Formats: sequence, C-alpha cells, structure tokens
Amino acid sequence: MLTVADLAKGYPGAGRPLFCDLALAVAAGEVVALVGESGIGKSTLLNCIAGLETADSGSIRIGRQALDIVRLDETARAALRARSIGFVFQAFHVLPTLTVAQNIAVPLLLGSVPGGEHAPRIQTLLERVGLAGFGPRWPASLSGGELQRVAIARALVHRPALILADEPTGNLDPRTATEVLSLLLERVREQHAGALIVTHSQHVAQCCDRVLTLTPDGLE
Amino acid sequence: MTLLAWWLVRAQFRTRRAATLLSMLAIALGVALGYAIHLINDAALTDFNRALKTVQGDPDAVLAARDSAGSVPLATVNAIARDPAVLVIAPVIDTRVRIDRWRTPFRLIGIDVFSAAAVMPRLLPRRDERAATKSIFDGGVYASPALLDKLGLQAGATVTLVRGEHEWLTTIAGDLPAVGPDELLLVADIAWVQDRFGPVGAVSEGRVRLAPNTDLASWRAALAARLPAGLLIRAADDDSTRVANVSRAYRVNLNVLALVALLTGAFLVFATQLTAVAQRSAQFALLGVLGLSPRMRLLQVVLEGLAIGVPGALLGLGLGYLLAIAFTRLLGGDLGGGYFLASAPLIVPELAPTLGFLALGCAASLAGALYPAYLNRRQPLAQALKMGFSQNPRAGGAIRTIRTTRPRGLRPLLLVLVALGLAQLPPIVELPLGGYAAIALVLVIGVGSAPLVTQCVFGWFAGCRLPAAQQIAVQNVAQAPLMAQVAASGLIVSFALTASMVIMVSSFRVAVDHWLDHVLPAPLYLRSKGTPLPQELLAALTRPEAPFARVERTAYGSLTIDSQRPNVALLVREIERSNPAARLPFTGPVLASPADTVVVWISEPMHEIYRITPGQTLRLPLLGSEVKVFVGGVWRDYSRQFGAVVISRDDFLRLGGVFQPTDLALWPLPGQEALAGDWLAPWTSGYGLELADSAEIRRLSLSIFDRSFAVTYALEAAAMLIGLFGLAVTLAASVWLRARELATLAALGFDRRMLSRAVMLEGALIAAVGLLIGLACGVAIGAVLTYVVNPQAFHWRMPLEIPWSTVLAGAVLTLLAAVVASHYAARQTTRLTVAQVLASAQ
Repeated sequence: MLTVADLAKGYPGAGRPLFCDLALAVAAGEVVALVGESGIGKSTLLNCIAGLETADSGSIRIGRQALDIVRLDETARAALRARSIGFVFQAFHVLPTLTVAQNIAVPLLLGSVPGGEHAPRIQTLLERVGLAGFGPRWPASLSGGELQRVAIARALVHRPALILADEPTGNLDPRTATEVLSLLLERVREQHAGALIVTHSQHVAQCCDRVLTLTPDGLE
Repeated sequence: MTLLAWWLVRAQFRTRRAATLLSMLAIALGVALGYAIHLINDAALTDFNRALKTVQGDPDAVLAARDSAGSVPLATVNAIARDPAVLVIAPVIDTRVRIDRWRTPFRLIGIDVFSAAAVMPRLLPRRDERAATKSIFDGGVYASPALLDKLGLQAGATVTLVRGEHEWLTTIAGDLPAVGPDELLLVADIAWVQDRFGPVGAVSEGRVRLAPNTDLASWRAALAARLPAGLLIRAADDDSTRVANVSRAYRVNLNVLALVALLTGAFLVFATQLTAVAQRSAQFALLGVLGLSPRMRLLQVVLEGLAIGVPGALLGLGLGYLLAIAFTRLLGGDLGGGYFLASAPLIVPELAPTLGFLALGCAASLAGALYPAYLNRRQPLAQALKMGFSQNPRAGGAIRTIRTTRPRGLRPLLLVLVALGLAQLPPIVELPLGGYAAIALVLVIGVGSAPLVTQCVFGWFAGCRLPAAQQIAVQNVAQAPLMAQVAASGLIVSFALTASMVIMVSSFRVAVDHWLDHVLPAPLYLRSKGTPLPQELLAALTRPEAPFARVERTAYGSLTIDSQRPNVALLVREIERSNPAARLPFTGPVLASPADTVVVWISEPMHEIYRITPGQTLRLPLLGSEVKVFVGGVWRDYSRQFGAVVISRDDFLRLGGVFQPTDLALWPLPGQEALAGDWLAPWTSGYGLELADSAEIRRLSLSIFDRSFAVTYALEAAAMLIGLFGLAVTLAASVWLRARELATLAALGFDRRMLSRAVMLEGALIAAVGLLIGLACGVAIGAVLTYVVNPQAFHWRMPLEIPWSTVLAGAVLTLLAAVVASHYAARQTTRLTVAQVLASAQ
C-alpha cells in the first residue's frame, strides 16, 4: 500500500537534513506505528507521504497503482489524496459549518464516488463508529471522543488504500483513547487498508502490528 | 464537488451573515446608483430625441443658418429643390412667440403642409370640424394637446401671438394629434408666419429628403462647397449627436462617481472574503488535505464572491429602477444638471444595459474576491492546518506571518509619478480619461500605502509605555498591517471620495460666487426669454423721466461652429472696446485689437473646446457671412458650458447687424430703487418680462448650483456608509481571528471591558490611519477633479479652495462613527467563551 525509498528532506538553514535515505513499507491490512522524539520529523514524514510537503529526493508510492507522490504536481497529489488516503488528526479537524453526515461525505464528493452510494456508506460507517443517528448534528454539540469517531468515519468512507494518523488519541482521555484506537484499528483491518500512525503513546504503539522509530540516523 | 461547493457557500452565508449581507448591500448600492443614473439619462435622452424627431421629422439633411439671427434665403431653398438628387425639401420657420399675456414664450413652427407630410408627418395639424374654425391656409394655428391643456384653451379660441413689436390675432383651429404628450408647440402655415413675424424672403431651415440611392456624404460635401458662408448643411444624425453631447460629460462624471461607489463595494467584498479566508484557513487546509485541489480552493472563494455579487447586483438592479423613478420625480430627467426639461421622463429598462450592470456588479464582487482566492490557493496546507492563516505564503508560510511583512516605500512613490503623468494627459475622446485613471491610481496608492503608514506611525507608538489595553491595541495595529489595510481600505476610498468632492464643490462654489460678483454689476436685470424686448420700452428708458442712471442692453443669439456640437452663444453687448474688463471677468490679459478689425472676447469653454487663443484671428459665421474677427481675450463663464462669444454692439452694427436687445442691466437713480420697480411693472406684466434684482439672481444661481450636485452628495453618503460597514466587518472578523489570543488575555486577567476597550481603540486607530490617508488622497483627487476633470469635461477652470474646517469636521465625525462601528466588533469579545476558545484547537 505504501512504499517509501531513499527519502530525504531538509529545511534551508537547518544545518543538517531532517532525514535522508529513508525507506519504509506498509502492506495492505498492516498497521504500523511511527514513534520518535519531538521535533525528530515524524509529522514531516507524514506530510511528505501525504504530499503536503515536498520531499527533496526519493520516492513515495501509494495505492494499488503505486503512483509516486513525489513526482506528482499539486493537483495530482490532491487527487491521489482524495482517492487513496484517509487522515485522522490529533485535533480532530472536523468542519464546524457542516453537519456530521456532511463532514463524512466530503471525501466521497472529492473522490467522485457515485451519489447513490453516499447515504448507505455514511449510514453504515456512523453505525460502525457508534454514532448512529448523529448524521444531522453539528460538530459543536459533540464531545472530543465523538469528534474523533467522526474523523475516523471520514477517513474510511471512501475506502482508501492508506490511512495516515497523527496522534489520533493525543487529545482524548485514556478510556476514550482506547475505544477510539480499537475502533480505528478494527475498521482499518476490516477495509484491508494500510495504516501509518504517528504516536508518542506506548499503548498505541503496542496495539499496532509493527513499530518504527525515527531517530536522527533514520528509521529503526 | 458542486454539492460540496454549495454546502460551503451556504455555510459561509450562515456563519458570516452580517458581513456577507453588508457586502451584498454594498454591491447592490453601487449597481443601483450606476443603473439609476443610466436609466435616467437614457430616458431623458430618449425623451429629448423623441421631441426632436417630432419637430424635425425624419429628413436626410437639414439646411440652416449658422447664426441664429440669420436665415435661409428662399432662393437657396428653391435652387436645392431643383436638384435631381433631392426628393423633397420642406421649408420651416421656427420661432418663439408669447401667447396673450403668458410670460413664457412658446415655439411656433411654420410649415408647408404638402412637403411637411413627407418629412415631418408628426407636425401635421387636425382641424376641429365642430368648432368650424379656419383652415391652416386661412391663417388658423394648431396647438399641441399639452399646450391646449396648459393654456386652458379649446379649438375656436381667439389668441394673440406676440413677438417683439409684431402681433398676430388668430384662432386656434385644431390640435396636433401626433405630437408627444409633454411637448408645447404651435403649428401654422409657413406663409402666414412669415407674413406676421418674418423673415422676409427666407426661412429658418430647409429639411431635405434625398432620392433613393443618393450618397448623403458626397451630396452634402458637394452642396456645402456651393453654399454661402452663413449657411450649413448638416446630417440629421448631427442633431442626435449634439443632444447626446450636451450632457455627455455630466453623465460620464456621474457614472464615474457611481463606479467609485461600486469600487468601494468591491473593497468591502475584498475585506469580507479576505477575513473569511483567514477565518477558515484551517478548514480550507483540511479540505486540501482531504483532496480539494488548489484550483478548487481558489474557485471556491471566487464562487463565494459571485454568490455575494449575483444577488447583490440583482438587488441593485431592482433598487436602481426604484431610485431612477424617485430621482426623476425629485430632480427631473437631468438629475439637477440643467440640461433637459425638468419633466420626469418615462423609465424603461432595456435588456442589454441591464445585463451589463448585472455583469458589472458581479465583476466588482469577483475583483474583490480574487486576491483572497489567490491567497487561499497559496496557503501551505500542513502549516495552515496547524497555525492558521498566512498572509505571505510564498515567503515561507505561517512562520513569516503578518508580523514580518515589509512594506515597500518605493512602489507608492513610482505610482505617484505615474498618477501625476496621467493627470497631465489631454482629454481622450473629449473625456478626462487620464484624470479618471489618475484618481483610480491615487486610491490604489492610498490603499496600498496603508501598511507602510500603519507601521511607521504605530511601530513607534508600540515601543512606548502605555496602559495594558492601549498597548495591546497599538501593538495589534502596528504588527498586523494587512488587517489594518483591509479594515481601512473601504474608509480610505470613501473618505477620499467624499473629501475630494467637498473640495471640488467648494472650489467651484467659491469661484462661482466671485464670478457672480463680477458678472452682476447692476442692481436690476430685465429679460424677455428669447424674444426681442419691445421697442416702446427701450424708447421709454431713454426718456429723462425714466428713473435709471444707466442701462446696458444685450442681445442673445447663437452660432453653429461645428454641427455636431451644441451651439455657441453670441452676446451682443454694449461694452467698451477699449475697456471690456470693466464688464467681463477675464482670465488673462486683454489684448488691444487693431482699429479696423472686429474684436470678440471668447469664454473659457470656447477657448477649451475650439482651442482658440487670444491674439488669434478667426472667421466667425456672423450675419450670413464669415467675418474675420480678432480674439481679444478669454473671459470666465460658468453659465454656458459650450462656449460664448461677446461682440460689442458698435462692431455688430458696423457689420450690418440689427441690434434687438433681449436683456437689460439697469442701474436705478440713487434713492429711486423702489420707484424703478414700479416704473417697470406695467412693462413686465404687459409683455411677460422677467425682472430680478442681482441678489435674487445670485441666490437662484447658487441654488441651481447646489441642486446640480445633489446626486453627488447622495453618492458620497453611500460611499461613507459602505466604508464604515467595511471597518466594522473587518474588525469583527479580526476579533474572531484572534479569539485565542483574546481568550488567553482574559485568562491572564484582562476583564471584558478592557478587551472591549482595546478592540474599540484598535478600530479608532485604524480609522485614524484610514482617515489620514483618505484625507491625503482626497486632497489629491480634489486637485485632479478641479484642475483636470472639470476643465476637460466641463471646460471650467477655477482655483483650488480647500474648506479645511468642513473636511476636518467630516474626519472627526467619521472617526466618531468608526468608534461606534468598532463597538460592534468589540461586542464580539463579550461573546467569547474563554474556556471553550482555549480548549478548542481550531
């Protein structure tokens, strides 16, 4: 689902590159945790994989067609994200001006999924994440845990090949975090997607199939 | 995608209701003003052209004298009638007569019924058989329905038509059924009119219909070469062009003012959309992360701009239509300009201009949304998601945000030089387009220099020790110049517009006031509204018992110098050749003329329009021939926009002219001022003359002046309101943007009153910057209007007079209004739920 090879990224004036010659792979149905110290470049790596930042060199191939996101232009990267990547963020990032159902529908609209499939998919996912009947509600009326469930539903609704999650439980209390994490892993495996989860939490890392640690010398 | 775009537009309207509605209203107002002005002008011109067509008919060409005192000899008419290319030539005598004791003279047109049927069918009379009246050939006259109504007469009534010394006792024989409902005119047989009022052996005009397949241009050119110097042959289209030219500059000027109102609306859309983009930068970044392409992020903001522009423009069209009806009822068809009759014309919207104004409203809204849309497209997604809006994305994203923008001082300086260059350009297609471009550029410079001025002024203040709330306000303004620019932009534009108009109008009014001092030297003025004054009166004034120390007589006429331009006024005055400056306000030196040459003094508009300079010798179409005259000087004339020539009575008589005064300037004998009025009373009532003292004329002139600027005051008020709305909306958005910062301050111990005070102070500081720049721009634009636009559009020059007390009082009032508007923004701080805001990551 994801193959990263010889990846390098640095910032001008930063002295040395953030990382170089980085290689990793995530298979379909596999959940990989990425851990490391603060500032080491975990989020930057995630951003490079998502095409939100441009890598200096190397290749990042995503999905069944194994398109190299590094070589794509901005529009093609956006299209690839819409089709093949789902995101879960620490800060939930739910659009406050759209209802829960509309928030979940956004990737379907961006990925050009036929309109007839929208309602059943949203309905099913809302039930799977424990938010049945929440569709018409506004995000402002939801708790943090509920918001993250909405984000998980949104990340999965278009059946992406890869899920990228940046501290998905970082803003939640331990009990809710456990619930949300199990839900995420369960749904990712159910959809046979690959997932890369950036986390500081040992508990989250232990729940994943594999743990990669980003150090100044590369991935371990 | 379409559905998502629609959701986002709807969400934007729902969450930013006030700002969106205000932007929509601003666009509506700009469109409404422009559309109303267009509808009114269009209706007035259509009315005027319709009236022209009624009287003139539909000829291919018109043969006329170039001098209003001249006429077309019948021999010339007959010679042209024999031309094989001419199908028919309809002779016409067009004159003005008074009816019984009515003061106002009415138009009397003498026609030849047979030729008129072919060329001017609308003038054909209808005899009233029931009243058993005379036929047109027996000397019956026919009145338009409007005139019959006005005079309260019916067919069969006996009336006396008076022109100067000549009287004609006749009968109203019927009406003119095809003449428009507003037109006041009489028609009679040409031979009867000629017999009663002249001219002997001549007519006023010959209206020519050419044989089919005749080339009008070459026929005209061939005939023009053969015609005597005092005659001209003009195409019928020339009259329509001349009518349009009469009010062209005034119309263009009003339209430009309406465009400025629309531009202010565009600034408000800019402010709304920029703050909307800033507020939603994290949301747009999220959509980008989820797969919304950069192009779609740009188009979304453009679409939102259109969603404001389309309903705004549609609303503006409706409002404009209503305004047009209201304005015409209040101010007449020329919006107080004094170009057309004061009757309210029929407002009829047409599709193409309506769509044009709809497009203009949408374009203004789009223009306002473009830069915010561009910024939205350029936002770095990952950074925007974490840190929010960056105003300088290319320079390194959110790390280098608002606080590190470096305003450049060189660019405004270069633009100032370009603006100065544009202001120097001569008129293009006789319009001050260079001046208008310079005004637009001054506004751009003003808005563009806001960050520089903000940083210069408040950067220094920010370093001073101030109380906490004040320190916060000053620092926010100093460190967020883009927000200050956005908030101040509407105010800069609107205050600049208002101040410039106040300066221009004041300069003009002061100049008119001084001018009136010079041109109204006599205590009393008597005039006959176009018909010659009765000889009996003129003779009585020379008798010793007349209570006047001095009488100066003037005869008015007109000359056609260019058939496509309005006529130039000819003033034959009792004026001393050696000392014309005693009566005329010259703008430069008066040149001594050679003794054997006729000297004329031309008005400033004539000097500007025809590029005639003092000392020049030219040929004027006077008394049926071209007379060589010497231009002795240029005098200031604010009453005749299309030019005037003054010639002394002695020169006019020497050329063989008949001096028939129409106006008198009267100096009563000392102590006999009251008696003078009584002495003149029988004449004024008997001959329908108008008597006025100079104070009354001055008062009336200034009231007409004020009326002609009434619409511009309405435009200024609208622009100021839009500017204040812009300030309130942007400040409110800036409070929302800084919700976390303000909430943090609240958590640190700032109470709501302090926060509210800080926001209000911020508003006042931004308004002060806006007003300061607006004032500078206003003075610059006022100077362009006074020195460039007025001379080029209206051919009037005047010195610049800045009414500082009025302008500064306006600035203080606007500042107070801005503080009140900031209160709206400050109220947002009281709505912040501190804990909720701090807990929220967005």
